[in-house]
Amino acid sequence: MKTWKLFIFDMRFQWKQRFYVVYLFVCSVYVGILHAIPDSRLGKVLVLLTFSDPSALGLLLAGGIVLLERGQGIWNSLFATPVKLWEYLLAKCLSLSLLSLAAAFAIHLPVSGWPVSPLYFTLGIVLTSFFFTLIGIAAALGSHSINGFLIRSQAYALVFVLPVLGYLNVFDTPLYMLFPSQGSLLLLSGSVHLLSHEDGGYAIAVLVVWIGIVGSLAMRLLSATVRNTDGGRRHEQI
Amino acid sequence: MERDDELIEVNRLTYAYPSSRKQVLQGLDFHIGKGEIFGFLGPSGAGKSTTQNVLIGKLRRYGGSVRVFGREIRSVGSDYYERIGVAFEFPHFYSRFTALENLNHFRSLYRCRTADPMQLLEQVGLREAAHMKVEQFSKGMKMRLNYCRSVLNDPDLLFLDEPTSGLDPTHADMLKRLILARRASGTTVLLTTHNMQVAEQLCDRVAFIADGEIKLIDTPRNLKLRGGERKVRVEYEQGNKRLTEDFQLEGIGANERFLSLIRSHRIVTMHTLEASLEDIFMTAAGRKLV
Repeated sequence: MKTWKLFIFDMRFQWKQRFYVVYLFVCSVYVGILHAIPDSRLGKVLVLLTFSDPSALGLLLAGGIVLLERGQGIWNSLFATPVKLWEYLLAKCLSLSLLSLAAAFAIHLPVSGWPVSPLYFTLGIVLTSFFFTLIGIAAALGSHSINGFLIRSQAYALVFVLPVLGYLNVFDTPLYMLFPSQGSLLLLSGSVHLLSHEDGGYAIAVLVVWIGIVGSLAMRLLSATVRNTDGGRRHEQI
Repeated sequence: MERDDELIEVNRLTYAYPSSRKQVLQGLDFHIGKGEIFGFLGPSGAGKSTTQNVLIGKLRRYGGSVRVFGREIRSVGSDYYERIGVAFEFPHFYSRFTALENLNHFRSLYRCRTADPMQLLEQVGLREAAHMKVEQFSKGMKMRLNYCRSVLNDPDLLFLDEPTSGLDPTHADMLKRLILARRASGTTVLLTTHNMQVAEQLCDRVAFIADGEIKLIDTPRNLKLRGGERKVRVEYEQGNKRLTEDFQLEGIGANERFLSLIRSHRIVTMHTLEASLEDIFMTAAGRKLV
């Protein structure tokens, strides 16, 4: 229930910060560009674009929100209420994944219509958004400035986008199977072709495992920052 | 030994930030009873805020024992926050939301029964500003809104850090009356301040903290009496001059010189010479409260 209230408030916060207006503009630009791409390449470009922007928008936005809230001194008061840390993180993931989903469909529907595998496509957007939102929060918690955050978040993200090289047939290795982004690319390709249940099951599993890993890292960092479980090192940064 | 009427029991509390080898708190001992207004006084950097942060469960790697509501604070969960309210010194809010939206959001985070935000805003004179964005608020308005947020859950224990900072005398007085009314309804208040006047007007007991140690702890009245002189100073007019003379309080009713003075001269002022809290602090800590 509390997560729901935090989720609704986060969406209102994002609305007031004009995130939705900015994304509406970004989506219209993408739609314009995609109409100019030949049909033979459209499917691949669409999957890559969906992966790199709507799905991963949480990376920058979540970090930005965290830096903003911390910078505005909101956390002192927020975490002096019964809010649990996981509720705070879950609300951020949910609100940003909804924005991702809206943006992804806003791009796909006018360009290629309804996805071929809508369930896998939707799960791909939501789970990828969860993953990158948590990465963004972890990067922001470890940074003192916007510049520091941008460098750190890109460094974190770079490692996880390596399977794109395989998707573009530049360099392939079975090790990509261990990366969450391999799962993302598989699920997102459900927009343009049918996905087998084996592929879908693997993709969901790898993303869920990675969300668990990054989620617990983000929890540890947040706890160290607001509940001082590291002895106060991060507390001094609030 | 825990006593039933004690809400906060702190024994040999020590704390050091990892970035510094120096212990910010060096073995504090104090107990605070239910329904008491307890003031922490001391200069900046003395350890007042660190003590408050330990008590509200934000700094958990402390030494010694800190028990609130009978539970060791390092192991409390989120339910602890259902029972406490905190107004930090700097009043931060979601600036693009209105005062009412901010209070409604914070209110929604409690499971316990909460107060009506409009009534709280009314109490602090902000009813008309309820639908104004907080970014349009002055510092004084934010401080009043800060108080409203801290009492949304009708807390058993209320932490107030410099509650009258930035308030004009009228609003400061209003807030003091609200704090006293809270005490009357059974809330325990822990007040952190530099302001001696506020401490004297509100606190049942005060502790002077300096260099991470409690130098003195007692009621403001006892401290002032203990630190003062048992004398009365009389300021009177003689011709066109103003003169002063001090008299020992012992046997003053039989002091001929005193009696003759008050009979035969126009008295301008007459005060006992108890010390001010500021004087007592300076004697105890060897420096001013800044």
